[in-house]
Amino acid sequence: MNRPFFHAPRIQRDLLILPTEEYYRRRYRKNRTGSWLLLLVTAIAVLFAALGAKAQELEIEGSAERGAEFESVGINDTGSGDLLFQTGEQGRYIPAIHLGTEVDIKVRGLVAEVTLQQQFSNTSNDWQEAVYVLPLPENAAVNGMEIMVGERRIVGEVRERQQAQKIYKEAREAGKRAALLEQQRPNLFTSRVANIAPGEKIAVEIRYLQNLRFDSGQFSLRLPSTLTPRYMPGVPVVAEQQVSLNPHGWSLPTDQVPDADQISPVMMPMNELAEQGSHQMKIHIDLGMGLPLADIYSPYHEIDFRSESDHRYNIRLKQDSVPMDRDFALYWRPQASAMPAAAMFAEQSATDSSQYLQLLLLPPQGDAHSRKLPREVVYVVDTSGSMGGNSIRQAKESLLLALSRLDGMDRFNVIEFNSDYYTLYPRPLAATPENIQRARDWVESLDARGGTEMAPALKEALSQQLSDEPGELVRQVIFITDGAVGNENALFELIRQRLGEVRLFTVGIGSAPNSFFMTKAAQYGRGSFVQIGDLNEVQSKMAALFTKLESPLVTDLQVQWPQGIKVEGYPRRLPDLYRGEPVQLVARFDGNALGHSGAGEVRISGRLAGKRFIRNLSLSQLTVDISGKGIGSLWAREKIAALRDEQRERGQSTDQDVEDPLRQQILHLALEHQLASPYTSFVAVEQTPVRPVSEPLKSSPVPNAVAHGQVQQPFTYPATANGIYGQWLLATLLLALGGLLRKWRGAVERNLRRWLRGVLPDLRGRNVPRQERVQ
Amino acid sequence: MISLGKLMRWLPALLIGAGLWQLGSGTWVLLKAELAQYLISDSWQRQLVSGEVHKPWPWADTWPVAQLQLGDEKPLVVLQGISGQALAFGPGLYETSGLPGSSTAQTTTVIAAHRDTHFRGLRSLRPNMPIQLQGRDGRWRSFRVLGAQVADSRSGTLPAFAQAGDVPDLILVTCYPFDALDAGGPLRYLVYAESAPDTATDHIVEL
Repeated sequence: MNRPFFHAPRIQRDLLILPTEEYYRRRYRKNRTGSWLLLLVTAIAVLFAALGAKAQELEIEGSAERGAEFESVGINDTGSGDLLFQTGEQGRYIPAIHLGTEVDIKVRGLVAEVTLQQQFSNTSNDWQEAVYVLPLPENAAVNGMEIMVGERRIVGEVRERQQAQKIYKEAREAGKRAALLEQQRPNLFTSRVANIAPGEKIAVEIRYLQNLRFDSGQFSLRLPSTLTPRYMPGVPVVAEQQVSLNPHGWSLPTDQVPDADQISPVMMPMNELAEQGSHQMKIHIDLGMGLPLADIYSPYHEIDFRSESDHRYNIRLKQDSVPMDRDFALYWRPQASAMPAAAMFAEQSATDSSQYLQLLLLPPQGDAHSRKLPREVVYVVDTSGSMGGNSIRQAKESLLLALSRLDGMDRFNVIEFNSDYYTLYPRPLAATPENIQRARDWVESLDARGGTEMAPALKEALSQQLSDEPGELVRQVIFITDGAVGNENALFELIRQRLGEVRLFTVGIGSAPNSFFMTKAAQYGRGSFVQIGDLNEVQSKMAALFTKLESPLVTDLQVQWPQGIKVEGYPRRLPDLYRGEPVQLVARFDGNALGHSGAGEVRISGRLAGKRFIRNLSLSQLTVDISGKGIGSLWAREKIAALRDEQRERGQSTDQDVEDPLRQQILHLALEHQLASPYTSFVAVEQTPVRPVSEPLKSSPVPNAVAHGQVQQPFTYPATANGIYGQWLLATLLLALGGLLRKWRGAVERNLRRWLRGVLPDLRGRNVPRQERVQ
Repeated sequence: MISLGKLMRWLPALLIGAGLWQLGSGTWVLLKAELAQYLISDSWQRQLVSGEVHKPWPWADTWPVAQLQLGDEKPLVVLQGISGQALAFGPGLYETSGLPGSSTAQTTTVIAAHRDTHFRGLRSLRPNMPIQLQGRDGRWRSFRVLGAQVADSRSGTLPAFAQAGDVPDLILVTCYPFDALDAGGPLRYLVYAESAPDTATDHIVEL
């Protein structure tokens, strides 16, 4: 060892300041605490880094489809996913049948005649039967169906429902081309086409008539192209059901919706369908009302229009075709000078001496800003899963707008419902700024999830306003929903029974709302409805609704038909009208009276804001259309709707053996007027068989596109983790941190104090009392 | 201003409180999942006997629909629906998918459960391992594991509605990765199984 040896210079001991025991203790403790703190900080940092890295990793893996690592994790198989699907890309369902739609609409008078042609092309190598759930407008009078194979047309006939099923089934088994159109709901039909050869394209043409809607000086027309999957309340019926023709529905029949399997089609995202070139729609409209128009627009599609002679307008989509994932709507407004105050159209029946009349009359409008009565409003908002995506945003926005409209005299409450319902306040409260603010905060926090148990929420909303206070409190329920339920009838019945003095207004939300529910619920609720399909529309549509809510209504409407002529008019009882709404009637006249000098006049009277008004319309100068078939069909359709209402009120007899006289009436009417109805279907059969009996027939559902902006419901993945591990890890960390802090409180506090002293400016000199309080 | 001393006195208590709360809620979820299965299996047995739908407890918003056995683990009672409420207590059957033995027999059965409670055992399934499913009619049906796949729930939906023959008869769904700390990940682990003829019927066929 030849290392040089250094000696420190010797210092006298009394010159030295040696560390005291206290110094060692402090130093020791400081170091220990410091290292513990360091450990903790490191642990937390590592945890966060790990979480962050994992999140990032997930994102990367998520975007790259089936990362190689994942294949090897879990089950030690060799790319099993690919083996499972002969259809190529895994997890993708490729529909065997592609769908294309062409719509031709002719508007004459107050009626739209729609020809809907749907091409089903078989892309598979098997003979196919296509089953498609067809959404139609809720007031459609379906009066024609044809199969088109190339140039040949096979005309469909109306038959009693069971009989039509039998005819179709037999034709299908025999290998004949056949089509069947059945009504499931007034706005939902099932269309079946049997024996489509491999690679073949068969078109089905459906014709229907539709009343135009007229509101606040604006005509409109709506054409649904898909539907929002309905929620089926109730418990599935286990008992052996009569097995329907071909159950392609996914929902099981429940005790509340016995035909759930018929109205819940396969839903597919539009982008997947578009990749296949399927589900495209072309629309052409010939708008010839005979009125000069000021404004034509479509809120959800881009359109081009060309004005032709005689105030006719030719309307097309800007793109050649559009995806079938949202309703098509068209609005048009006559020029102010040509705004009709009344319109009447008449037509001669082809079969007998009766005539049909269609009438539209605008009652006096009164003052828009007349005395505002104090209101008690209950807002009900649907937060079920089907509202997910854009719909819930539209709903919230509408609700917030409605809340801002309340003033001090009003009372209000908010109810949200999905599988359950929750009320904001136990009873309606005064609309003070604080109460409204609380409601706004609550509404902002709402989320869309769960089922659509509408009945309990409706019951609660209608029983909220039981206060006995007399006076001029206007009671209103505003129901914001997409109407995606399968038990409409039960809900209508509930509204009818419990309505009392309340008026129910519906706000339809989303790209494909259930219009049947919206209109009928508002009809039973003696209210009105608006439909909002886009966030941009919230402002204008809600404003229109507020005008209706706050303006006086036209009541006691009576119609007096001319004496001495047998007239059957619908609706039987005219509803109260809100601002901007017209009187709309269809009637059947016996004995060729219309258009002759003795026809007399029809008198419509009513009351607006306490004042009585009378309008007389002369029937003698009417020109009667000899060749038309439109108004007659619409009249029959209205009558069926009225009979169905009556049937609903009596309660549908579940006993099949007892003949329902109303059913007989509907059946008779539908057969006479050649209309599809709950009891009649269209069936078309080609006489010669095309499919060899040796070849099998496959049955394929034609999916419906998931409505624009909606989160697909039935087959999305659920949340399948509780996050227990995360919770436990967090718990361990928190406990450890807490325990350590407890143990080393003094030291940590001292250190923290010292550190704070270094960081913060010393205030002691200037602000002694304060500092003392701190200590 | 809060005094530093007071804060230092309360902070540990607060942290420990929060820790205990987290620990408790995590354990409660696990406990609830395990305990509920006992109650539900009871109502399932009664349902098998009576043939009527029995709710496990009066206010339950779901009811048992099947019993599922993965490999040779303890059987799990499957509940109707995949809502959070149902999955907390047991594996859930997709409302829109069919059960073997029901009238819509040609549909695929899809069952989902939480990866950290009932479907912990899903990761240990290997191809050709048996899965048993008991329907409402009380009959046990055998399935054979075909394979597994990891899917991204943000792109695409369950491959359950393909044409007959192209999809497996049974799909089990849970979250992936199995040991992830956070609950809201987008990945799902799918196990496919195909219907395996029962050994008994096999015999008959051979004869």
